Amino acid sequence: MRQPVLWCIMLNNLLATFFENFSEIILSGKYLKMILNGLWLTVEVSVGASIIGLILGSVVAAVKLLPNNNKWMKIPKFICGIYTTVIRGTPMALQLFIMAFVVFAIRGFPQEIVAILAFGINSGAYVSENIRAGILSVDKGQTEAGRALGLSGARTLVGIVVPQGIKNVIPAIGNELIALIKETSIVGMIGMFDLTQASKVIGSGQYLASYFAPTVVVAIFYLAIVYLLTLVIKLIERRLRAGDKR
Amino acid sequence: MINVDHVYKYFGKNQVLKGADLKIEKGERVAIVGPSGSGKSTLLRCMNLLEEVTYGEVWLDDKLLTPVDPYLHYDIIEKSNTFKKLYAARADKVGEEGARAEIIRQIKQNDLLKRAEGREFSAAVKTFYKANILDINVARQRMGMVFQQFNLFNNMKVIDNLIYAPTKLKVMNKAEATEKAYSLLKRIDLTDKANVYPNSLSGGQKQRVAIIRSLMMSPEVMLFDEPTSALDPEMVGEVLALIKEVADDGMTMAIVTHEMKFAREVATKVVFINDGVVAEQNTPDKFFDDPQNPRLKDFLSKVL
Ligand SMILES: Nc1ncnc2c1ncn2[C@@H]1O[C@H](COP(=O)(O)OP(=O)(O)OP(=O)(O)O)[C@@H](O)[C@H]1O
Ligand SMILES: [Mg+2]
Repeated sequence: MRQPVLWCIMLNNLLATFFENFSEIILSGKYLKMILNGLWLTVEVSVGASIIGLILGSVVAAVKLLPNNNKWMKIPKFICGIYTTVIRGTPMALQLFIMAFVVFAIRGFPQEIVAILAFGINSGAYVSENIRAGILSVDKGQTEAGRALGLSGARTLVGIVVPQGIKNVIPAIGNELIALIKETSIVGMIGMFDLTQASKVIGSGQYLASYFAPTVVVAIFYLAIVYLLTLVIKLIERRLRAGDKR
Repeated sequence: MINVDHVYKYFGKNQVLKGADLKIEKGERVAIVGPSGSGKSTLLRCMNLLEEVTYGEVWLDDKLLTPVDPYLHYDIIEKSNTFKKLYAARADKVGEEGARAEIIRQIKQNDLLKRAEGREFSAAVKTFYKANILDINVARQRMGMVFQQFNLFNNMKVIDNLIYAPTKLKVMNKAEATEKAYSLLKRIDLTDKANVYPNSLSGGQKQRVAIIRSLMMSPEVMLFDEPTSALDPEMVGEVLALIKEVADDGMTMAIVTHEMKFAREVATKVVFINDGVVAEQNTPDKFFDDPQNPRLKDFLSKVL
């Protein structure tokens, strides 16, 4: 008989604490500042890593896509093959550890750069595969027609195939960037203070002693970022598709 | 103009061309016919190296497009260690010239050349290659190609499809190319389509644009791979008419086709491909009225 009543009281308490904490986080400058600090780091790492990932991914995709017609292409192609295999075959957390504690095990080396590089290199591998798949989905006849006119392989790729493949690539890259943002939440493992860490610290006994409100607040921030990015991608996609019909 | 010399083409283990020989002289119009899967498209695509040949050579006039096939050059075979060894062993037995010829035949028949045949051999191959090779992109500018699936560039308007290659390859400047493009569009009566994208054209229109896109480069020879096979029947006529027009202008051409009537009408030579080799070639009249090869007789009885 008393069970439901107890639960009601517990729930009531929980919600009361939640709303209390929630408004405290938003209103008290202290917690908001922590969250904004975390947000800044998440954004910093995500944006930096995206840029590196897009550039690296494009270069690697280009190397893999260019015709294998001379021995000088073999070595870069081989290296790029190893790169994507290793990066996609090992956990992100491990790659971050290696970057922080092996490659850049230098006292005082800025951690942001470590994280940006680790995530950038990781996302480059996925971006390159996305680009490659998108480009390869363009009908082979387009390449053949270009080559048959005497255009070089590179010119055909850049002028004819890539403009058509990019439409297939954008959504996949969008998903990759969204995954990247969410994955940066592991930087706490190397002692960095990002959005997720902010919720952890605020929820700890030292401050609010409850994770409920801080995690919800942080979740809302992540959702907002991802939602914004989704909108931007949809916009770009629509632009490209509009160019399709005309 | 084009010389396909003993070309073999393997797709993995699948041997598609098995020593195909075909010469196309300047001004000739060669129709290539044969059963499905016999290697017609592959042969045509080997001519401009859209397919790399496995063995054999392809020549454009006096220029080599493929790697050197040493088996086709006696003087190169004679530089090989294998030849030298065999020759040293037999020199006392046979008269000198006879021995050379016999050893070469023996080497060719039994495929005796190895990967490494000594420095003199490599040098001979390299010298021959350097002296004769023509860059494939340059060669392709001289050879137009028209595909079954049209393959117009989907990301470009019709006019840009026409001027893209000639301007990028600096054959013409943009003004010249545009002028030429419009005069060709006028010829096929599609001037009003200059600024639309290919996907709004009918099949017949697409193929006619594809043909004039090739003509933009002023090729010396044109290769057609079943140019009307992907078209609705009512559009076949307009495309064949354009090809005929181009032929009447004196264009050298090779056409893979299933249109026997058209082959007979337009071609100066008809070639029968069967099982990866040129099984018969003749003037259209003799080819169709007096076929020799039993396979060709069989083929013609089915398609005519
Ligand atoms: N890119 C490729 N990879 C593997 N096999 C191929 C390839 N292209 C062609 N082939 C094979 O080579 C053979 C000959 O093909 P090809 O296209 O030259 O025939 P075809 O005479 O043009 O036939 P069709 O009249 O049907 O066009 C076929 O068995 C085909 O399966
Ligand atoms: Mg074919």
